[in-house]
Amino acid sequence: MIGFNALLRREIRRFLIIWVQTILGPLTAAFIYELIFGYVFRNVSTGIEGVTYATFLVPGLIIMQVMINSFANTSSSLIQSKYNGNIVFLLMSPNSPALVILAYLVAAIVRGIVVAFAVFIGVCWFSSVMPYSFLISMFFLIIGAAICGGLGIIVGIVSVNFDQIAGFQSFIWTPLIYLSGIFYNVNSFAPLWRNLAYFDPILYIVEGFRYGFIGEATINLTFGTIYLLFLAVLINFIAYVLFKRGVKIKY
Amino acid sequence: MSYALEIENVSKKYKDFVALDNINFKIEQGDFVGLLGVNGAGKTSLIFSIAGINKFSGKIRVMGYDVVKDEIKAKLSMGIVPQEVAIDSFLTVHQTLKIQSGLYHVQNNEKWIDEILERLSLTDKKNTNTRALSGGMKRRLMVAQALVHKPPLIILDEPTAGVDVEIRKNFWEFITDLNHQGHTILLTTHYLEEVDKLCQKIIVLNKGKAGKQQTKHEFMNQSFSFDKTLQVTLVNATVPNELKQKVLNQQQNTYILELASDDDIINILNLFRQQNIKIENIEINHKSLEDIFMQHLGR
Ligand SMILES: Nc1ncnc2c1ncn2[C@@H]1O[C@H](COP(=O)(O)OP(=O)(O)OP(=O)(O)O)[C@@H](O)[C@H]1O
Ligand SMILES: [Mg+2]
Repeated sequence: MIGFNALLRREIRRFLIIWVQTILGPLTAAFIYELIFGYVFRNVSTGIEGVTYATFLVPGLIIMQVMINSFANTSSSLIQSKYNGNIVFLLMSPNSPALVILAYLVAAIVRGIVVAFAVFIGVCWFSSVMPYSFLISMFFLIIGAAICGGLGIIVGIVSVNFDQIAGFQSFIWTPLIYLSGIFYNVNSFAPLWRNLAYFDPILYIVEGFRYGFIGEATINLTFGTIYLLFLAVLINFIAYVLFKRGVKIKY
Repeated sequence: MSYALEIENVSKKYKDFVALDNINFKIEQGDFVGLLGVNGAGKTSLIFSIAGINKFSGKIRVMGYDVVKDEIKAKLSMGIVPQEVAIDSFLTVHQTLKIQSGLYHVQNNEKWIDEILERLSLTDKKNTNTRALSGGMKRRLMVAQALVHKPPLIILDEPTAGVDVEIRKNFWEFITDLNHQGHTILLTTHYLEEVDKLCQKIIVLNKGKAGKQQTKHEFMNQSFSFDKTLQVTLVNATVPNELKQKVLNQQQNTYILELASDDDIINILNLFRQQNIKIENIEINHKSLEDIFMQHLGR
């Protein structure tokens, strides 16, 4: 437990020390999205009775930053350690691989929560929306951060440089995010895209989180919850196996 | 009592390249052992295998614990200073050592941390960000990191590279004290005077193969040949071809020549006279550790 705490503290300090980039950055980005899209699309129907576009966008923007930041926390920490060589200290340390992965994961979730509050402060001016159920929002926030944090661990382990992480972000991450109904109700997509979007796990994270805010969802959340729990376990198990085997870390 | 370190049939390949070829040796508790070898001999590969950083075949035990089966206990029993400087840049010296302590399951060791910092001449840098340390200071911080949990086995992979003379002296006093308190030390360094002064036993690695472990005394007295050398400084000349294979070491016009017997001295001097080579200075010396090391490697 002491080893876990030390690692967790290190990972949390790592992002707090660069708070301008890790906390103020997401806050500003979300503020600008809300300012521009909230205004430009102010007359767009959200497909949900009594919910304005500005209100619809608030939870979407928060959870988007949560996902981006929890992914960035684990992937950049690992790639940096590999790059500057101090990953050897992690490998030498007397802590089981499961504990190490868990510490990285919890740090990613903590960053997700901190960023969520920061972004909320940035966008709460545009709509009077308050969580309908804080617990439900929190549940989807944590599971979203766990999936993205776990994905970050995998990408951090298998990438050999920062370019590969950037590649992952532009070719896999960005399309998934834009298919996920952060900016639009997916039911308004053309049928092909809508059916594709139903496979996108991020859709369920966004919809679940938004449900916690406005008390309405545009898709079936029971299936979504099971799908997300399954993915969170699977992804983090893969991360654990890769780290334990030392893929691209141990030679 | 278990051995501090047991290496049994350890081999290590990087793809097809054999870096360690069936290494076997045991180090007793309380020993101070020098692991010698030229660049690329396999020292770091062996240390990384012990540390749990490299995959390998064979068996390694630290304080009796198998580093694979009893990984956690084995890792708690050793402290390693890696050769490459690598430190988190977002922490101060003190934070680095607190987190390192936590990683080794140690709490409330402020007094010991202060003592380590004092002995490694880092006290005035305690609250400095690691980014603001000089190269030699960073290396000393890595030594401090390896010691936070008072490990029974301390492994130092070139700990003094880039550390200045005065601090190096303090550093070795500290390590020697730890050794006297019962810590086992395994050291690699390219400064052979350090090995000569500090180590009781010596293991030579050569192209992935380990020689027999010897006491320093045995190592110095092994009879490759006669134990004296002839040092000559020549005036504007190189040694004649006939003597080339006797050269152990050369610095500009000064040569250290291996001797087969006392008669050899006369033969060599005669050769110089025949070829009209002028000698500026001449000394007869006992072999240094370095001479023997070079001979050991078969050059
Ligand atoms: N990750 C790696 N991949 C491939 N080959 C490697 C790797 N690490 C080391 N080697 C090779 O293994 C051999 C032994 O290297 P090692 O680092 O163990 O030597 P060393 O004795 O520590 O040398 P030095 O005195 O320079 O530190 C070298 O030929 C090196 O090129
Ligand atoms: Mg080395």
